[in-house]
Amino acid sequence: MSALSYYLEREGIMTTGISLVRENTASMRPPRALWVSFPLGRPLGKPGDAAFQHEVIAAALGLLGRPRGPVLEDFPRDAPVAAAAEGAACPLSFPKQEGSPTSWAARLRSEHAFLAPWYALSLRRRKGRTLVGVSGEAPEALLEGLATYLDTGKKPEDIRWLKRAVEDLKVWALEAMTAQPGEYDPSAMNRSLWQDTVLGAAILAFYHQFQNSEKAGDRMVARMLAPREAVARENG
Amino acid sequence: MVRLRDLPEYERDHLLSKCDPPLGPPVWVAPKRPLEALRMALLTTAGLHYRDAEAFEAADGTFRPIDGEENTAGLVMSHSSVNFDKSGFAEDVNLVFPLDRFRELRDEGVLGSLASVHYSFMGAGLAPTAFEAGAIQVAALLKRDQVDAVFLTPV
Repeated sequence: MSALSYYLEREGIMTTGISLVRENTASMRPPRALWVSFPLGRPLGKPGDAAFQHEVIAAALGLLGRPRGPVLEDFPRDAPVAAAAEGAACPLSFPKQEGSPTSWAARLRSEHAFLAPWYALSLRRRKGRTLVGVSGEAPEALLEGLATYLDTGKKPEDIRWLKRAVEDLKVWALEAMTAQPGEYDPSAMNRSLWQDTVLGAAILAFYHQFQNSEKAGDRMVARMLAPREAVARENG
Repeated sequence: MVRLRDLPEYERDHLLSKCDPPLGPPVWVAPKRPLEALRMALLTTAGLHYRDAEAFEAADGTFRPIDGEENTAGLVMSHSSVNFDKSGFAEDVNLVFPLDRFRELRDEGVLGSLASVHYSFMGAGLAPTAFEAGAIQVAALLKRDQVDAVFLTPV
């Protein structure tokens, strides 16, 4: 954000905008920035809250009237959190897989079948909006592809395919998990994705495959698959 | 919340490693007209694009145009970082790319007008200087569209 702000302003276009990590912005000193305390991924604070989003925008637009800069101002409020959402766990309880077929293919298929009606409901509630599909393949085909690697112990060579498969399947699962109307705690949702789902376990298995490899660049691939938080929690 | 003091040490260290120095001497464009007369564009580093556009690569300094009139619900995200939550964006595009909010401000007369085309980069995996060429291209396109000011959002 800071770099683009700097370059655009250097080219003669005024800029203002949001900073999510104050220290990074303070270091790079773009012309105008409004630091907000919101979680990464949520620069306007809260989904579906137009009034709050307008407050954030108004504060950032207000910086355009400053006589000189650089300006780094702090937005005075945290994002509103509904009482029901605070610390709320995922509304879906994932079925225990103990005693069920042990191949990755069977476990992933079983979980997919459990979540499919919820994903369908999510599509209806969001009027067809979905983030799934960037890979260009159906989720079912992606799952089979991942399972084949895991069940044979082979390491994927097409990193672009692996990354896009993982991202598509994660958003598919997250959209299914948030199919019911209401507010969700994003931390709780993501914790559930990584701790409670077969998909989370499968992605972490790929993470370790690449993290433990001695091939140059594989650790970088590992970092593109699983978040630091999920890995840290797995390690206790 | 992204207050470094609230984050675990591994997360804090990672974010602090991105504290790059300024890219050059301070730059500053003074406003030539009041807000209600400005023509504005949105620019995000969230890796947004339409479903039928090319997805961003893991490290990618290119940009994607976003039509000023098209429904934003068709936007998807191919940002390569895994360290943020996408469920909020799935729920509401405006959480990351507030074009509907800006349309409301334009319709209320708070802003003058909006650009014909807005832009998305994908801000991960590259040094800040890798975005210079793309930014210069976008600046030229914005000037051709008579844009005065840009509102930027990270993710």
